Amino acid sequence: MLKYIISSILFFGYLLGFSQTKPIDLQPKDTVVHTDPYGIRVGIDLSRLLISSLKDGYTGLELVGDYRLTDKLYVAAELGNEKNTKQEDLYNFTTSGSYVKLGVDYNTYGNRYDMNNAIHVGGRYAFSTFSQTLNNYSIFDANRYWTDPDFQLNPDPNATNDFAMGSNIPQEFKSLTASWIEAVIGVKAELFANIYLGASVRIGYLITNKEPDNFRNLWIPGFNKVTDDSNFGVGYNYSISYFLPLYKKAKKLEEKKKEIEEQEPIEEETIFPENP
Amino acid sequence: MNKIKPPIVLTSLLIMVILGFMGCEKDDICVDGTTPLLIVRFYDVDNREELKRVPKFRIVGIGQNTTVVGVADRTDLDSIAIPLKVVENTTGFYFINNSMDVDVEDPDGQTIQVEGGDLDSLYFNYNRIDKFVSRACGYIANFDNLSGDLRSETENWIKDIEIIAPLVDNSTEAHVKIYH
Repeated sequence: MLKYIISSILFFGYLLGFSQTKPIDLQPKDTVVHTDPYGIRVGIDLSRLLISSLKDGYTGLELVGDYRLTDKLYVAAELGNEKNTKQEDLYNFTTSGSYVKLGVDYNTYGNRYDMNNAIHVGGRYAFSTFSQTLNNYSIFDANRYWTDPDFQLNPDPNATNDFAMGSNIPQEFKSLTASWIEAVIGVKAELFANIYLGASVRIGYLITNKEPDNFRNLWIPGFNKVTDDSNFGVGYNYSISYFLPLYKKAKKLEEKKKEIEEQEPIEEETIFPENP
Repeated sequence: MNKIKPPIVLTSLLIMVILGFMGCEKDDICVDGTTPLLIVRFYDVDNREELKRVPKFRIVGIGQNTTVVGVADRTDLDSIAIPLKVVENTTGFYFINNSMDVDVEDPDGQTIQVEGGDLDSLYFNYNRIDKFVSRACGYIANFDNLSGDLRSETENWIKDIEIIAPLVDNSTEAHVKIYH
């Protein structure tokens, strides 16, 4: 009996060998399609909220948003409103106004398939419309002959050797505008599902600046401090945002791209002759 | 996972460096301008083109206890730079020719020294114009519609005043000519 069994195994084993029609693929292709979420991301700048609560004379709000166009490219925008009072040595002024920034962000960070973090570089065109109020000012005079109480015959006992008051009646300069371009570099990290924490720094270059008569736009909403004889300004934000996924798209892989490129011309050739 | 860290570290470093640079600002010391001084030059009344020094000249602001700071005292001068009051539209000066101390007895019999020179009171009237200069300096004053008002006495040593620049916006050119 044993002889028959062994013979059968040898016989059928031979058949088994024949039934293997395809060669064994030792490197099987991954057929799982990796998808990336596409959608809109909206958020708020935390730094402006924090400074508003900590610093007297400042209130500001900035909304941030972006929309994913392609694998790496995002359309990005910021919308803000700021009111800032600054005390300089001899004058005090308040700037109040709104701004909008529009541009693109390019993600340079290579994510693993389930990650959506970003290290982005980008550019913006920004426009601000605002007003400046000169609250008070003193007159700068290097000569103290008339203001120093020591030189006076009958000085006011309360007098101090201070600059003469120019005016303390607030003076408002309205309908001022400025526009600038910005270079942006920043990071965005997904904290929890669809909640992102971001930070960015910006260098702005003023293009247009409509200034008031006999005063200057020393601070512009969204642009921050304007330095004498320079068109450059710097800014930053720390944003928290929510990502609203709208649709999913297959993650582009370089190998797949090549395959598609190879296949497509053949398909076109076969399709066209069918059309009469 | 180790592959991911370097770009994040680099970017954070870059952000820190840029934030660090934001702390550096242009020096906030005013060097761009100041309220101008009034430049007065003294000319010969007989030869109106010729500068003429005032012997032992002294100038004191009316209401002040000291001579004007920056003008050499009791010196022969043909040109002076004097400050105007910013808070008022009028500034008065005692222009003293041939200034000297004279001993006199006061009612108590004490010997005191008084000014013995020829003293003329001259007031300047003007309108102030505030002008924004720069972030560090803020506003300075310029003076417009300048006019001179000499209080006449029996004999003034100042014979005539001519305003040649009614707008005082610099301290480099002469604004007033005084003939004596």
